[in-house]
Amino acid sequence: MSTFAEEVREIAARYPDSLSAMLPALRLAQERHGWLPPEAFREVADALGLTPAYCQAVASFYDMYHLAPVGRHMVEVCTNLSCALVGAQRVVEAFEQELGVRAGETTEDGAITFRAVECLGGCGYATVVSIDERYRQNVGPDDVAAIVEELRARG
Amino acid sequence: MPAADILLKGADERDLTKLVEYRAIGGYSSWEKARGMTPEQLIEDFMTSNLRGRGGAGFPMGRKASLIDRASGRPTYLVVNADESEPGAFKDREVMARVPHRLIEGCLISAHAIESRHVFIYIRGEYLAEFEILAGAVEEARAAGLFGEIDIVVHRGAGAYICGEETALLDSLEGRRGQPRPRPPFPPVQGLYGMPTQINNVSTIASVPSIIELGAAEWAKIGPEKSPGTAIFSISGNVERPGNYELVLGTTMRELIYDFAGGVPNGRQLKAIIPGGSSVPALTPDQLDVPLDYDSVQAAGSFFGSASLIVVDDRCCMVQLALRAAKFYMHESCGKCTPCREGTRWQVQLLEKIEAGDAELRDLELLGSVGSGILGKSLCALGDFAVYPVQSYMQKWPDEFRAHVERRACPFGGNSSIEGILAPSDQHTATVPA
Amino acid sequence: MSSPELVTITIDGIQLQVPKGLGLVEAAAYAGIEIPVFCYEPRLGPPVGACRMCLCEVAPGPPKPQAACTLTAADGMEVKTAATSAMAAEAQNATLEFILVNHPLDCPVCDKGGECPLQDLTFRWGPANTRMEFPKRTFEKPIPISPTIALDRERCILCYRCTRFSESVAEDGQLVALNRGAQSMIATFEDEAYRAPFSGNVIELCPVGALTSTQYRFEARPWEIQDVPTVCGLCPVGCNVAATTREGKVKRIISRNHPEVDQGWLCDKGRFAFSHLYASDRVTDPLSKVGKRRFEELEWEEALDEVERLARAAQGRVLLALSGTETCEQAAGLARLVREGFGSEAVVFPEETSATLDPFRLPLSAIGHAQVVVVLGDDRVVDRAPIVDLWLRAARRAGAEIVTLGPEERPAGSAPETVRELAAEGSELGKRLRDAERAVVIWSGPGGRGGALVAELAHALGFAGKPGSGAFYLPSTPNARGVREAWGEGEPRRPDRIGLLLVSGDEAAADPRVRELAGQADAVVAITMFADPVREWVDVVLPGTSYLEREGTYVNLEGRPQRLRRSVIPPAPDELAWIAKLGERFGVEIDPWVSPPLEEHAPLPERAAAPERVAPTAPTPPTAKGGPLRLVRYRPLFSGPAVERIPELQFQRPEAEIELSPQDAEIRGLTGGETVTVSSNGSSVQLRARVNRKLVAGAVRAAEEHVRGLAGGAVEVTR
Ligand SMILES: Cc1cc2nc3c(=O)[nH]c(=O)nc-3n(C[C@H](O)[C@H](O)[C@H](O)COP(=O)(O)O)c2cc1C
Ligand code: SF4
Ligand code: FES
Repeated sequence: MSTFAEEVREIAARYPDSLSAMLPALRLAQERHGWLPPEAFREVADALGLTPAYCQAVASFYDMYHLAPVGRHMVEVCTNLSCALVGAQRVVEAFEQELGVRAGETTEDGAITFRAVECLGGCGYATVVSIDERYRQNVGPDDVAAIVEELRARG
Repeated sequence: MPAADILLKGADERDLTKLVEYRAIGGYSSWEKARGMTPEQLIEDFMTSNLRGRGGAGFPMGRKASLIDRASGRPTYLVVNADESEPGAFKDREVMARVPHRLIEGCLISAHAIESRHVFIYIRGEYLAEFEILAGAVEEARAAGLFGEIDIVVHRGAGAYICGEETALLDSLEGRRGQPRPRPPFPPVQGLYGMPTQINNVSTIASVPSIIELGAAEWAKIGPEKSPGTAIFSISGNVERPGNYELVLGTTMRELIYDFAGGVPNGRQLKAIIPGGSSVPALTPDQLDVPLDYDSVQAAGSFFGSASLIVVDDRCCMVQLALRAAKFYMHESCGKCTPCREGTRWQVQLLEKIEAGDAELRDLELLGSVGSGILGKSLCALGDFAVYPVQSYMQKWPDEFRAHVERRACPFGGNSSIEGILAPSDQHTATVPA
Repeated sequence: MSSPELVTITIDGIQLQVPKGLGLVEAAAYAGIEIPVFCYEPRLGPPVGACRMCLCEVAPGPPKPQAACTLTAADGMEVKTAATSAMAAEAQNATLEFILVNHPLDCPVCDKGGECPLQDLTFRWGPANTRMEFPKRTFEKPIPISPTIALDRERCILCYRCTRFSESVAEDGQLVALNRGAQSMIATFEDEAYRAPFSGNVIELCPVGALTSTQYRFEARPWEIQDVPTVCGLCPVGCNVAATTREGKVKRIISRNHPEVDQGWLCDKGRFAFSHLYASDRVTDPLSKVGKRRFEELEWEEALDEVERLARAAQGRVLLALSGTETCEQAAGLARLVREGFGSEAVVFPEETSATLDPFRLPLSAIGHAQVVVVLGDDRVVDRAPIVDLWLRAARRAGAEIVTLGPEERPAGSAPETVRELAAEGSELGKRLRDAERAVVIWSGPGGRGGALVAELAHALGFAGKPGSGAFYLPSTPNARGVREAWGEGEPRRPDRIGLLLVSGDEAAADPRVRELAGQADAVVAITMFADPVREWVDVVLPGTSYLEREGTYVNLEGRPQRLRRSVIPPAPDELAWIAKLGERFGVEIDPWVSPPLEEHAPLPERAAAPERVAPTAPTPPTAKGGPLRLVRYRPLFSGPAVERIPELQFQRPEAEIELSPQDAEIRGLTGGETVTVSSNGSSVQLRARVNRKLVAGAVRAAEEHVRGLAGGAVEVTR
């Protein structure tokens, strides 16, 4: 009946223990809801035979799960050492200007959530910006306006 | 020393993400050969090669394999650590994106050596593109019938640096909060699902096919006797040509920074070299001739770590750099053990006070004492990682720390290269306005 | 069993021999040395090494302090604690300082104050003043995580004892840690109540004042209290407890770890239901009926006169109805009074009992070590004998095969057939039970003939010759065996006319069978704690007492006699006192004082000799043939006269619902959540439907309290 539960059980079948499907199941639930509302934890719990509390405990440990609603697009700028040394803060400032929000906030229209994040593993190509989980590398403050325009065009 | 060509061999000329291309340069022939060998022979070869773990600790890979209990009849597992989240490190990503089949081939050989039927590659969640390439290559190799009885699952993490620590990785892979386990029992005895488990870094496993190809004894002759082989060095920060360079171990920092990466740009002065990712103590320009191998870097007072150099020029305020690093480790502390959870937070509070010019000299002392309260006492090494940068910057640039107290402000007067650097956004707080 | 290998280790210069593999914390305790711990608690599973309080210098080992709690004794090991090692002392001081960095200094107003391990340690070697001058981590003020438990997150030291209990002992998965790092905190899902049968244990596990009892908050300070060692009297397990009393009142119940019985865990009924002692309808004086619902108080002598008069008027036609909550001594007193004084042999027992299980006796802890366990019967184990549920979970975690054959696996009421199946030659499962060195069978539900059926099975499986294998029957009352044996020989009998019905205890008074008998009796005398339920049908009420107010003996489901102690003085003389007085009037001498010669942690009596042969019981015809659905009525853990009177426990009581199998729901076009009519023999009740995916078709399940109005066991469910 529920394709979600079936999908989860299919993933679970690849592991010696179905609990290992937890992270993929949470990711799947997040794709369906946009974030992880309480009912998402109930769905994951049902599919894996766990409690919603347990699923929430796991999700809240990891940075990539959203426990509150986020914008339709996610813009994340690495602000760790290597990016910082070559000017990540200028990129952050440019995004803040362009979007009219501070890091950690979502634009009024709910379109874009903007975050400053820890090292994305692109230190040699600073500044690294992750846009909906796709990396843009060697981003400078001058590239920001075009990126935002592109996102806005996507809706 | 010239650039080396083992891990990334062929990748400049061909698209080695494709199976045909990889096979065209002899790919998977090591696996064919290894299949005809016994696990004992393979482990013997690993030992002879003296391949040391590229994930940080430099533990001999063959020794680890020899510790696996293969006789008990219980399943054994091979887990590949592709969590690469250490600031400064981006080498494993290069392996997965450009030579995924070499990693897969290494997995098959290593799994055969410990008689494992299950390989899990735990890749950090942020590496989406690399995941897609690797998962695609796994499918292609499986479809080509290369796996035999072995299965490989590529498992995505979800954003937690601690999951690079091997036992936290196991908990995460099992579907839990990724928190480290006490050791003993060590993973070769009781690892994934409680079974004997071998855990190695991506670059370690990707080195394995070349050992079979060249012969272990020949392989062992590459580079220094005690740290043979090549590594992909990630270099970033204030250099002209940052990026990944595959070099023989033992290449000096000077060669890497100046000959390969083009030195410090814009005529600035070199100030600090962080040789193994942000978690290790910084070295100073007078140490430029230190060879990059496990023992030499350690003898120089730091760690080889993840073969990732962060180069810092003279525009950077070391207090700010310490604060930024400290914030990272506070953010990533898993919260399980007391010294790390509480100590990393306290360290940040003290550094913020110092950086703001609000501190007294006794706060510097306190910072040192908080650090030694963490060092060596936490459940895993993350606690130590949070302290090494802070304490080494304090030791090597004491004047900068004192100046913040004495002048009640940053001596760089707002012109430090990382001025205004941000902490990461708080976990989970980005909400749509009501 | 072979004796364990001994190894020689040195702790703070003291050389000692300990079994190889013994935890270092325990080994040190052997030598009289304390290694401080917070997170370490072996009952919660393998050590986690989280708090780092136990850091010691250990050789051989890396040149840094080691968490002693995660290490076990090996030959030649040398351990130095903070007493002899500067390294260990520095490490432990650092840990303690870190723990205190975010811990409020509100000990004077904290409930844990005075019995707090953290306070003790700080006092002994903690830093004199804090070097931490930044704002401490702040959280919302104490929040209720259930009506019985409050959580003060600021005091939490994140030892994860509570969440480990929830995850790996009770396995309820409800109390968890959220977030990461310094933001970690203990929580339930979306602040919903922690609703689980064993939740209260986290209060005792918490080493600080973070998790506290809402009942006990601000009620007493440790130096004002007295802990009376006794035994819980609310179910047949008989957990060993201590009643904390202050100024003559019970303030809380805590565990008193009997490793063979309860391992230090309590269910929430046993922990929180004590305050029924102070219920508003508690009977404190004898009452006599005047008018339809009115009672008037009697002087004790008047009351005894009245009972004497009624007993004499009954001319031997006296019927005694027992609850199974009486102490053995009390039941024996009643037996002599009724038999020798009133001249009657008539008695109604609360349930059937049987001595046939005695040759298969095992301590409950044996379940935890079993290799194969089979649970038969229609009731959930947790409803009848909650702690047994925890032993079963422990066994499963240890790798045992646990097979439950209840109405989620087989047709309701089919347990007797299952016994025959398992006993038969061809049964695979029967063979595994036979072959295992440590196998256990458990009967959880009605229809088990007081244990005779499961004893028959145990006999057939050859358990008599296997000291590691045994059988349990889960009675529905705490002391049914003791009460039955106190009555002595003779089958229960019933007079054709009832001159006087003597109802002993609130449970008997709530039993529908007893209510029916009362309708036939000329007079009814009830001994109850509470007046409301008996108001309409009883002539005289004599005040009853609780298990917390009596001296005496209970025999638990293992067959273990355990001592109840009077924790507080009851508001009226206890039963035995006036039974003795009444006895005098009939020329029967009954001893009003009891002091059973039992140890604090009572041992289990030896197994009885097994009979040569056991004649198989005649097959019972299924009682509810013909009806389309068979109703499984269960008595929920959270039910009964005590629980009904505890406001904080109401959230634990089951919903007014009927569970249906998906097949039965579908045939009838019913969906979960809707209101349905459950009818039987012309009677009916309205309940909410719940589809239980696991229930087998043909069975429906409801709590007894919700289907009391229904006659019969065959029901139909309609919209
Ligand atoms: C906090 C922490 C983070 C780590 N992160 C990584 C990582 O991202 N990748 C990795 O390979 N090893 C990482 N390690 C090291 C692993 O624990 C482990 O030693 C390594 O995966 C073993 O592989 P190797 O022997 O091939 O180096 C980390 C260790 C710690 C303490
Ligand atoms: S609430 Fe108590 S038991 Fe739970 S983690 Fe905190 S301190 Fe430990
Ligand atoms: S008691 Fe050993 S770490 Fe907590």
